[in-house]
Order: sequence, then structure tokens, then C-alpha cells
Amino acid sequence: MSRYLLLLLLNLPFILAAILSAVTHYKLGRSTRRRLVLQLAVWLAVLIGLALAEPIYTWLFTNELTATEPLSLFDVVQITAVVITFYIANRTRLKTQALERRLQDLHQELSIRLSDESK
Amino acid sequence: MKKATSPKICIVIPAFNEETTVGGVVKSIYQALQKSKYISEVVVVDDGSKDNTARKAKQSGAVVISHILNSGSGGATATGLSYAQQNGFDIAATMDADGQHAPEDVIKGIEELIRRKDDLLIGSRLINNKGMSKVKIFGNKGLSFITYILFGVNSTDSQSGLRIYSRRALQELQWETQGYEFCSEMLWRAKQIGLKIGEYPIKAIYTEYSKGKGQNNWNAVNIIKSLLKRRIAEIFG
Repeated sequence: MSRYLLLLLLNLPFILAAILSAVTHYKLGRSTRRRLVLQLAVWLAVLIGLALAEPIYTWLFTNELTATEPLSLFDVVQITAVVITFYIANRTRLKTQALERRLQDLHQELSIRLSDESK
Repeated sequence: MKKATSPKICIVIPAFNEETTVGGVVKSIYQALQKSKYISEVVVVDDGSKDNTARKAKQSGAVVISHILNSGSGGATATGLSYAQQNGFDIAATMDADGQHAPEDVIKGIEELIRRKDDLLIGSRLINNKGMSKVKIFGNKGLSFITYILFGVNSTDSQSGLRIYSRRALQELQWETQGYEFCSEMLWRAKQIGLKIGEYPIKAIYTEYSKGKGQNNWNAVNIIKSLLKRRIAEIFG
């Protein structure tokens, strides 16, 4: 199997999961349209970059714009690790933000209720 | 005699270790409100103070909401405004607990908000900045400029604590930052949800106490960092 195809296949599930998550967040009203567009733009750019990695490399090489070696198996693993890390970091950030928001709301509500009881 | 149709006003005073001044601020705002036609309540949000802020505020007749943990000025303001919204107030005003704001300016702001039909009215110390030190003018103008660059909101005094909120603002306005940077973020969120934002001139009363308590200009660095973080986070969802 071509290494470029392997690279795409390994990363595709994470990119699709991120796109699906962004659309779901928007459809459930947890995200704005602008955020959705930006998220889609970022992940689609990653997808297009990976899908066109081979023709881009060939074009750069034939035009003498790069002199690097073709994609190695180690490169495939490394790029996949970067994409997975980006995916996980983004999800973790969103979850932390949601938790932070809930904690703030809880603290606020608790303070108001306690003051009502002590009136 | 207060008319039954008068709007219900809630004055929110976020306070952190302000036992020296909070009692006087509550009393003076009550006196000013008594002369007006409004049905009103003064709420002090004690943001986890280590001193007698809550006791002094209660003795002066304010409703006291005590934060269990210190959350910062933004968190305390959010709690106070949430209380006003839950208790059906028509208008809310926030003011500082250090005695920096004149009660007459609060009443004037409420009247201006009703007259102009604004949703959020900022009491600007910089329209007429007499009595303000050059360092403070520079710091506040700088932060207002950064607020404009980052969020596109044009305000002469983006950090002012004296703000008046309509019922719509109470229901819809939410922000995420907890510290002093909430002042800028609030303007941004208000713009995002289409609230009508206005300004009116106020005078700032600087005493030795309030000068000592006030924000250090170096705190602006933290504010800018936090605002930048918020702006970037917004881009990535």
C-alpha cells in the first residue's frame, strides 16, 4: 500500500470525527455559525493537505523547490501523532471550558440561594 | 411616595476586602435612591473577603450575597446581575465599593438609560477626566484602544465599573472571564448579541484609599493577555 494512502487512511477517522463533532455542536446550539465555519476550514485544510500530499511533494520536487526524501513510514507515524494530538487537545480544551462554565454557574447559584435562605 | 409603575432598580456592588468603605457606599446610594422615584434594592456581592465586608454591608441595609470562593470582579458582577435578573428587576447598575463613584452619577445613568432606551450604558470617567492622574488616563485609554483593536468596540472608558443594564441586557448578557478583563469582554459580548451600548460622562472620586486599592497599571498586562487568549479561543471554537 502506498505510504501516502496509509497516511490518509490513518488520519481520516480523526478528521471526520472532528468535523462531525463541530457540526453536532452547532446543530445542538452549543456553537456559533462562525465557529463552525472556522472549525470546518481548519479540518478541511488538514484533510486536503493530507489527500494531496503526494502530488504536492512531486510538484515541489520536480520544480526543485524541495530536496527532501519521499515520505517514510516514520513520517507517517509522526504526522498521524501530530493530528491526533491536535484533535485531543481541541476536545480537551472544549471540555475544560464547559466544566469551567458549569463550576462558575454552580458557585453563582449556590451563593444566591444561600443568601436567600439567610435573609 | 413611589409610583407602582416605577421601574425596579437593583444596585450591584461587587466587593473584596472593602470593610473600610462599603458601609458608606451603601448608605450614600440608599440616600440618593430615596430622593428618586425608583423602587430599589442594593446588593453587595462579597467576593470571599477575609475582612468584615459582608457584616458592614449588611449593617448598612444591603442584601449580601457571599461568594464561598474568591472569583474576581467579573464573577462577582455576574452573580449580582444574575440575582437582579432572577428577582425580576427592570434595571440594574453596578458600581465600585471603594467609593470611587458618586451616587448622583448612578441615578443620572439610570435616567439616561431610560431616556435613550439603551441596553448597556457605561459611565465614562474619561469624557471629562478632571482629577484623574495621567498614569490612570494613559492606562485606561490604552485598554480602551486594545478593546477596540481586539473586539471592535469603541468606548472611551472600557474599564469603568459604573454600568447600567436594561432588562434585556440582564437576560441575555453573559461573559466568561472572571477578573477585571470582564469589562472589555462584556462590551464585546454586548456587541455580539446586538445590545445598544451608550456612554455618559461621570466624575471619578479618588481618595487616598481608592488610589491604594485601585488597579496597578501593570495589571493591564494580565488583562491584555487574558483578552488575547479569549479572542484566540473564540477563533478555534
